[in-house]
Amino acid sequence: MGAFYSSNDGMDKAAHRSSIQLEGSAKETLEQGRNRLVVAGVLFAFCFVILAGRLVGLALSGAGLSRTASEQNVSPKAAPIPLVGRAPVYDRVGNLLAITLDTVSLFADPTKVLNADDAANKIKSVIGELSSSSLVTKLGSKRNFVWVKRHLTPGQQQKINDLGIPGLFFRNEEKRVYPLGPLTAHLVGYTDIDNKGIAGVEKYFDEKLSGKSGAQAEPVHLSVDMRVQYALRDELSRYMSIFRAVGASGLVMDVETSEILGMVSLPDFDPNRPQDFPNNNKFNKTTLGVYEMGSTFKTFTTAMALDLRSVSLRNGYDATKPIRIAGFRIRDDHPKKRWLSVPEIYMYSSNIGTAKMADAVGPKKHKAFLTKLGLLRKPAVELPEVGAPILPPRWNSLETMTISYGHGLSVSPLQLSTAVGAMVNGGIYRNPTILKQADAKIEGRQVIRKKTSDIVRKLMRLVVEKGTGKKAAAKGYLVGGKTGTAEKAINGRYKRDALITSFVSAFPMNNPRYVVFAMLDEPKGNASTHGYRSAGWTTAPIVSRLISRIGPILGIPTIDEGSEKMQRLMHIPTYSREKKLATF
Amino acid sequence: MRWNLTILISVVVIAVSYGLYQLSYEVQALEKNIGKVRSEILVNEQAIQILKAEWAYQNRPAAIQELTAKYLPLLLVAPYQVVALRELPERQMDPSVKNIFGVPIPRTKPRFKRIPEIRLPNGALHMATYQLPRAE
Repeated sequence: MGAFYSSNDGMDKAAHRSSIQLEGSAKETLEQGRNRLVVAGVLFAFCFVILAGRLVGLALSGAGLSRTASEQNVSPKAAPIPLVGRAPVYDRVGNLLAITLDTVSLFADPTKVLNADDAANKIKSVIGELSSSSLVTKLGSKRNFVWVKRHLTPGQQQKINDLGIPGLFFRNEEKRVYPLGPLTAHLVGYTDIDNKGIAGVEKYFDEKLSGKSGAQAEPVHLSVDMRVQYALRDELSRYMSIFRAVGASGLVMDVETSEILGMVSLPDFDPNRPQDFPNNNKFNKTTLGVYEMGSTFKTFTTAMALDLRSVSLRNGYDATKPIRIAGFRIRDDHPKKRWLSVPEIYMYSSNIGTAKMADAVGPKKHKAFLTKLGLLRKPAVELPEVGAPILPPRWNSLETMTISYGHGLSVSPLQLSTAVGAMVNGGIYRNPTILKQADAKIEGRQVIRKKTSDIVRKLMRLVVEKGTGKKAAAKGYLVGGKTGTAEKAINGRYKRDALITSFVSAFPMNNPRYVVFAMLDEPKGNASTHGYRSAGWTTAPIVSRLISRIGPILGIPTIDEGSEKMQRLMHIPTYSREKKLATF
Repeated sequence: MRWNLTILISVVVIAVSYGLYQLSYEVQALEKNIGKVRSEILVNEQAIQILKAEWAYQNRPAAIQELTAKYLPLLLVAPYQVVALRELPERQMDPSVKNIFGVPIPRTKPRFKRIPEIRLPNGALHMATYQLPRAE
C-alpha cells in the first residue's frame, strides 16, 4: 500500500505540472523538442539583445561622434569639384586659357514641322546669319533630324522658344571658349564643333582633356606665362606693322628647364571662330615653320670650333677676299677686308671667317655637332604641329661652309632657341617643353664644355655691346645675342628683296635665365632705319623692348650694365690686328 | 497578466511602426531635398564656369592695357624703376637722437612678417548661391 501510495503521490505531483503524462518514446521526443525550442529562443534573444545594445549605443554616442568627425573632414577644405565635360587649360600661374561652357543647340525634326517656309522665315528673324533658302530645304527634307544652329546664345534660345514653332527642339551641348582670344591661339589650338581637339594642345592632349580613355578628364597646366606671352605678341605685332612685315615669330624660353614661357606666331587667329581666318594664319611659324636662319648659326659654328679646340680666341682667319667655291661666292655683309680674330668674326658677323672656321673643323664633325644640338632632327615637343628640319641632300665642304653661317639648313625657331639655350646655360641641352615642370632638376646632356659656354656668353654680349646687335641693349640688363639676316629661298633661288631677319638673345648674360627669340618675315626698311632692313635694325629693337618689359615681370634683378664690375665680368679680348692711326 | 503583456506588446508595435514610418518619410523628404541641392550645385557649377570665363575675359592683358592707357597717365615702366623690398637700405638712425624711446622707428622691415593662415570656421560651410535669371 505504501508503495502504491508513494507511486500515487508521484503521479499526483506530475499531474500537477502537466495534465498529460506521457511515457516512453513520445516523452523523449517532446523533451527534445522543448530543449531545442529553449536553445533557439536563447540564441535569438541573445542576437536581439546585441542589436538593441548596438542601437542604443549608436543613438547615444556613435552618431554624434561620427558627425563631428565628418565635419572635421569637410570644413578645412572644400570638396574637389568634379569636372564637367572637357577639362580646362591653364597657364603656369593658373590663368584660364581654355574652358568648356554649357550651351544650347537648336535642331529640328522636319517631319513634325508644319510649314517649312513660315518656320524658316520666323527662325531667320531671330538668327539673321542663316540663309533662308538652305533653312527651307533643311526643314522640308524627309529626314527626322537636322541641325538648325549650334551653340545659341541664351537670348536667341528665349526668342526661338517664344516663336513656338512645332518640330524645333533644343539640345544641351558644350562649347569650348578661349577667353584670351588670339593670345595663345597657336599654342592652345582649337577644337571642332563637337569639341574634338584639332590643333595645338587641344589635339595633343585630346584624350587627357576629354577623358576619353575611361580616365577622369584632367586639366593641362602649360609652362606659358600669360603676361610674357602678351608682351611678346604686343611687341611683335607693333614691329610687324612698323616694318610692314608679312609675318613674325617669337619665343621666350627658360634656359634651365627649356620651358616655353611665350610663343607667338603672327599673323594669328581667334580660336573662338577659327573658320573666319585663312589657313595661313593657322600656320605656327615657331614650331612648324622651318627657315634658313642666317648668321644666328655662327653661334654654333664658333662654339663648335672653340669646343673642339680647332681654333683659339687668339687665332683668326683672313677675310680680305670673298671665297669662291663650286661656282658660289661667299662674301661679307659688313666687309672689313682684313684679317679677323675669332671674336671679331662673330662680332662683325663675317661669313668668310665663319666659313673658314667650319671648314677647318670638317663636314663630319660639323654634322655630328649640329646633331647633338638637336638641329637635324624633328624636335620633341608636346604639340602636333612640329616641323622637321630640311637638310641638304649631301653634306660636303661647300654645305659645311654655307651652313656655318646659316644657309642651306632650315630649322624651326624652336630648335634654334633650344640650341642657343644649351650654348649659354653651361652647355646642357634639354628638350623643349610647353608643360609646366615641377621643381625637380630636368635631365639634360652636356653638348659643350662649361668653359666654352662662358666664352659664348661673352661673345654674345660683345655683339650687343659693340657689334651688329647694338639696338638690342636694354637698360638694366646684360643682354647678349646674335643677329641673323637671311634671304628667303623661293623656288630654289634666293630672293634679294625678301628677307627673314631674326635675333636670338639671352639675358642676363652674367647668369642667363631666358632665351628670347624674335623673327620678322619680309620686313621693309623705313625712314627710322635709313632704309635698312637687316636684323640689327629691325628685330634687335624688338628684343630690347621685350626684355625691358618682361624682365621685371620675371623678377630678374636689374644691374648697372655700364659699371666697371660688369665690364670686367663680361670682358673678352678681341685680339684685333686693325691698323690704328700712328700717333706721334 | 497575459492580457497586460499582449496590450504592452501591441502598444510597443504601434509605437515602433509609427516611428519607423516617420523615419521613412523623413528619409524620403531628405532624399528629395538632396536631389534639389545636387541640381542646384550643378547649376551653380555651370554659373561658376561662366563667371570664371568672364573673369579671364575681363582680365585679358590687352583689355587691362587699354584701361591703363585710358585712365592712368603712365608710361612703360623701365626695369630700373622696379625695386625689390630687400634691395631697400635699412633705415639709419638719426645720430642726434640720444635715446630711441619715444621715437617711432620700425625695427624690422615688413618683409619677414608672416601672415598667419586664416582658419575656416568649424562647422558646415554654406555655399554662396548664384541665381541665374529664370526664364519666365
